[in-house]
Amino acid sequence: MAELRRDPIVGRWVIVDNDKPALPKDYEYDPHSWKGGNCPFCYGNEAMTPPEIDAIREPHTAANTSGWLNRVVPNKFPALQIEGELDRRGIGIYDMSNGIGAHEVLIDTPYHNKDIPDLLNEEVERMISMYCRRSSDLMKDKRFKYIMLFKNFGAAAGASLEHPHSQIIALPMVPKNVMEEIHGAQDYFDYRERCIFCDIIRQEMQEKARIILENKYFISFFPFVSRFPFEVWIIPKKHASSFCIMPPEEIPALATILKDTIVSIRKLFPLMPYNFIIHTSPSNGDSAHNEGYHWHIEFMPKLTRVAGFEWGTGFYIVPTSPELAAKLVKETQK
Amino acid sequence: MPELRKDPVIGRWVIIATERANRPDQFANKEQDLTPEKPCPFCPGHESETPSEIYAIRPNYSPKNGPGWDLRVVPSIAPILRIEGEIERSGRGVYDTMNGVGAHEIVIETNQHIANMADISEDQISKVITCYIDRIADLEKDKRFKYVLVFKNYGWSAGGGRIKHSRSQLIATPVNPKRVKEELVGARQYYDYHERCVFCDMIKQEINTKDRVVLDIDGFIAIVPFASRFPFEVWILPKKHSCDFTQLEMSQRLDLAKVMKKILKKLKKGLNDPAYNYVIHTAPFRRQKLGYWKSIDNDYHWHIEIMPRLTRVAGFEWGTGFYICPMPPENAAKFLREINEDAI
Repeated sequence: MAELRRDPIVGRWVIVDNDKPALPKDYEYDPHSWKGGNCPFCYGNEAMTPPEIDAIREPHTAANTSGWLNRVVPNKFPALQIEGELDRRGIGIYDMSNGIGAHEVLIDTPYHNKDIPDLLNEEVERMISMYCRRSSDLMKDKRFKYIMLFKNFGAAAGASLEHPHSQIIALPMVPKNVMEEIHGAQDYFDYRERCIFCDIIRQEMQEKARIILENKYFISFFPFVSRFPFEVWIIPKKHASSFCIMPPEEIPALATILKDTIVSIRKLFPLMPYNFIIHTSPSNGDSAHNEGYHWHIEFMPKLTRVAGFEWGTGFYIVPTSPELAAKLVKETQK
Repeated sequence: MPELRKDPVIGRWVIIATERANRPDQFANKEQDLTPEKPCPFCPGHESETPSEIYAIRPNYSPKNGPGWDLRVVPSIAPILRIEGEIERSGRGVYDTMNGVGAHEIVIETNQHIANMADISEDQISKVITCYIDRIADLEKDKRFKYVLVFKNYGWSAGGGRIKHSRSQLIATPVNPKRVKEELVGARQYYDYHERCVFCDMIKQEINTKDRVVLDIDGFIAIVPFASRFPFEVWILPKKHSCDFTQLEMSQRLDLAKVMKKILKKLKKGLNDPAYNYVIHTAPFRRQKLGYWKSIDNDYHWHIEIMPRLTRVAGFEWGTGFYICPMPPENAAKFLREINEDAI
């Protein structure tokens, strides 16, 4: 019989299919394919992007020329604009605001056809260092309430350019799902005086049924209540509310676990498209959320099509249970 | 400059990206559906290929599970939830679980092998509406269920299958889904403060400004919502306040069918037969119990949300509930308004 599971943080119910669980061969997904072509993110094409905001470069190379190791540029088609003051207003029953914010593209590597699993650990570390650097910088801007870092890999996951890149969006308000997570975590904290994420980590490490990888500072696991099959969380074992103030010694550990987790899942789903998002506490708010909130990465392979049921209800159907997913991944690790 | 807009009911912000814009026709469905079609178990003569029928409209009283029907409801062959058993809730550490009790039914909307509901007659669509109402009323008798979700997945990218016979689905759930709860709570908060229904206020404002109205006929209004998540998203609402879709009177069912058909035809014609989902948003079963609020009849307003699948939802949207809509709703409404869906 299928099982309904309730997300302990936001209260969402999902249906986990235990009757006829889907195996990797049952998923029909659009694998990523490298087509090449003239790419604005490749060496020599620096002039095709807006001027760079930041870069990690080989010594003695000038901005907006080749020789960078990773590079950050404004999005050419930004969803939000950086100039201006925030202007909120109402029209009748509707509320709106002008679209102030930042939208940057982080070109993670000079290699056109190497994604995270194909990179050296130090290259992934460099990518994460840049994530932290850009987040910290944007947090200084008092107009922004939330800094969102995410990556879309593969056309089916929403990537419009195939050269591996991540994106950062600074928003003048806290997005709804993040707010729900913060409120859910805060309610739990008010009641038990413990962080719910820390409790989840403790329970996962005891049960071991859903863990993928673990190192000194991080664990990666299939959450008990996931929305998508093979959805993964990567979370620091020690309580920390904000991603970008991660101690420098943890960056190599995060790079390793991120890369190795993607490698493990990709063994089951070659060249699967995916998304990941860094969930972190809001910036420029009061620091009250620090006790109850715990930053983490949510990683979602794009294996299924989301249908009317999910859109309409926020009720998700998970065709492969997280426990089975963990078992399948373990087998590939042997 | 892009705009941020807030959904007045559930408080979700969306970015309306005016900058990248945007001729409406550039969103038109480009991907031809090349998925091979499977033989159809939903056509007359194939009744034995589905589980035994739960409901059917048989004008000549033909026998159950044989041909001669106008419309048929069968249990899903791959049900997500099972009808048998009592609900058992349990906890495991920080986690809560429940067994998967529920109902999952397929409404076969026509005896003709038609893929898109846009091509079904108004009269037949009104039978589909009646069928939804009858099935919801029947499932309400089962005290284990709290909500019945009625929805349609048309086309591959909307989660539709390989069988191209127009159908919709009903799922009865033992809990109120999160998204439904949010809408109910948002509407109640507005009502507590203003003593008016937020949807009625929205309808009034839309009729005044006209910018986002696609159709306004026969007691129904079709709008492109102010804070649309997707390009060409359309909501159909009854202009007269009602929280419960099943209270729709006989005479209004044909009117609703007419509006639905017109909107679906506009989408098909204007956007090159795109995949779409629709979902009926209606009040949950209102049985006396803890947590039920009496004002629900006043503060909630049923409606249908139609979502064409023209863009891919990226990680950004999933992770945050913050959507980027690349098509200003006013432009989308104008485009849909101007399509003459009846011209050949």
